[in-house]
Amino acid sequence: MENIVFAYPKLLWLLLILPPLGYWLFARDKKTRPYLHYSDSSYRNVLKKTWRQRLYPTLHVLRLLAVALLVVALARPQSTSKQSSKNIEGVDIVMAMDISGSMLAEDFSPNRLEASKQLAREFVRGRESDRIAVVAFSGEAFTQCPLTIDHGILENRIRQLKSGVITDGTALGDGLAVSINRIRQSDAKSKVIILLTDGVNNAGSIDPLTASDIAKTYGIRVYTIGVGTRGLAPYPYKTPFGIQYQNVQVEIDENLLKQIADETGGTYFRATNKNRLKAIFEEIDKLEKTKIEVLSYEQRAEEFKPFLWAALVLLLLELLLRLSVFKTLP
Amino acid sequence: METSELLKKVRKIEIKTKALSRQIFSGQYHSAFKGRGMAFSEVREYQYGDDVRFIDWKVTARFNHPYVKVFEEERELTVMLLVDVSASGEFGSGTDKKGGSKRESISEIAAILAFSAAQNNDKVGAIFFSSEVEKYIPPQKGRTHLLHIIRELVNFEPKHPGTDIGQALKFLRNVQKRKSSAFVLSDFMDSRYEDALKIAGKAHEIVALQVYDPLERELPDWGLVRMHDNETGEEFMIDTASKANREAFAKFRAEEHKNFDTLMNKYGIVHTSISTQEDYVKPLITMFSKL
Repeated sequence: MENIVFAYPKLLWLLLILPPLGYWLFARDKKTRPYLHYSDSSYRNVLKKTWRQRLYPTLHVLRLLAVALLVVALARPQSTSKQSSKNIEGVDIVMAMDISGSMLAEDFSPNRLEASKQLAREFVRGRESDRIAVVAFSGEAFTQCPLTIDHGILENRIRQLKSGVITDGTALGDGLAVSINRIRQSDAKSKVIILLTDGVNNAGSIDPLTASDIAKTYGIRVYTIGVGTRGLAPYPYKTPFGIQYQNVQVEIDENLLKQIADETGGTYFRATNKNRLKAIFEEIDKLEKTKIEVLSYEQRAEEFKPFLWAALVLLLLELLLRLSVFKTLP
Repeated sequence: METSELLKKVRKIEIKTKALSRQIFSGQYHSAFKGRGMAFSEVREYQYGDDVRFIDWKVTARFNHPYVKVFEEERELTVMLLVDVSASGEFGSGTDKKGGSKRESISEIAAILAFSAAQNNDKVGAIFFSSEVEKYIPPQKGRTHLLHIIRELVNFEPKHPGTDIGQALKFLRNVQKRKSSAFVLSDFMDSRYEDALKIAGKAHEIVALQVYDPLERELPDWGLVRMHDNETGEEFMIDTASKANREAFAKFRAEEHKNFDTLMNKYGIVHTSISTQEDYVKPLITMFSKL
């Protein structure tokens, strides 16, 4: 009932008859009502004006209100509730995250994996209407989280990513293939894989280029992100004396990643630090704009009933009062 | 009113009033209205026991035999009916078989008085008045004249709604130089007639008959009542559902009535109040017995 609109608002002009009607009611009451033809009026000043006399005109007011309500009811008041249904053409995204041991390198703070996880979560948070899956790979690949719209779970699953749960290595092909497998049956218009890695393909049974071919066949765009600074990166080693750091040359097969991206219509990005990575995610976010069609329709419910009831009650009340408290003679 | 209907009514009034007038005036009438002194009738021979004062000396001298003048007490008198035909008379609560309007009651009482007077062979005249004198019927004798008056009583349509008793009394004094019995039949809803009453009361024997309706003395609980003043045409609403109002009204009316009584007593005018709802015979008899 928050929004009242009238189906026939022109009928509200009928409210203009209220003043003349009121005038007529009062005049008629004075003029045409029967009067007791009495002998004199000398007693007039002796009698006091009582509340009944004073309130007598409220009968007309009640009548007028009833008429007003009838007019309002006639104009068909309708309550509208806007129902908008967003017709979202979501994008299906698979985030393929490298969780190999090299991701623990601390050229990003606190390390590559944690930085990636954090930024991936932010990315996920920003894409409310997309289905997103998470695939983790190192020496092998597995699905951390299938395509889902439930971003809460998604973020949780991303947080749970850990290095070292599976065989170490970098199976780019496997990771890509698992991702493709996750997304290929999706009927979303736009299918995207974000492949995040920091190494060279050195494990797995599927060639990354083969995988990219498959991706191309399915019409999946693959954005590839190479993570790692140029040059050396501090890499922690566990020794009996605690964690020690060793600088390791960063090796990213940039050519391969570029090729995969180009072939599938995606883009290759190189993230040399955390801010850059963040910028990359933002860029991908922009590139993969979700098409949102908002269909809003109004639902109207007829609301004349309460008006009619009120009018009826007022009329009855007037009648009742006229016959009881404000009974007049003759 | 059609003539046949009128005649029927006149007949009815005649029958009703013949009996009534006998009842009312039996025995009292003669003494009630004294004749206008002695009028010379004839001369006759003096007889033993006659008052020597009445000997007509001129005739005695002519006939050389004592003659006395014989006087007759003049029984014949004039009855004037001052009939109020103002609009206030149209009111009548008529809750009863008897209850007509005040005007009807007045007409009936006037008719009775006219018949009674005619029976006594008196001259009857009438003045119809409202705020002005509407019609004057000079006093005359005879049945035709009587019927004329009754026809007017029943049929008269006043031109003015108001009441001015003073005007009527003044008019009476102007047209009726000889002493008469004047019956003022009105509801006396007028307050400015005291002076005229005083003056007319000296010249005539005035009898005031006030006709009222019970609803003029007290108001019942009728809720809101739209009132129309017949005389002034004022229209307003009063609340009779309020007990205070009803009491105030009754008190006001009682006071008015008391003032009427006081005024009439002050000038020694015989008066009575007759309700439209009750039989007017009794109050009339009571009043005439007081004369």
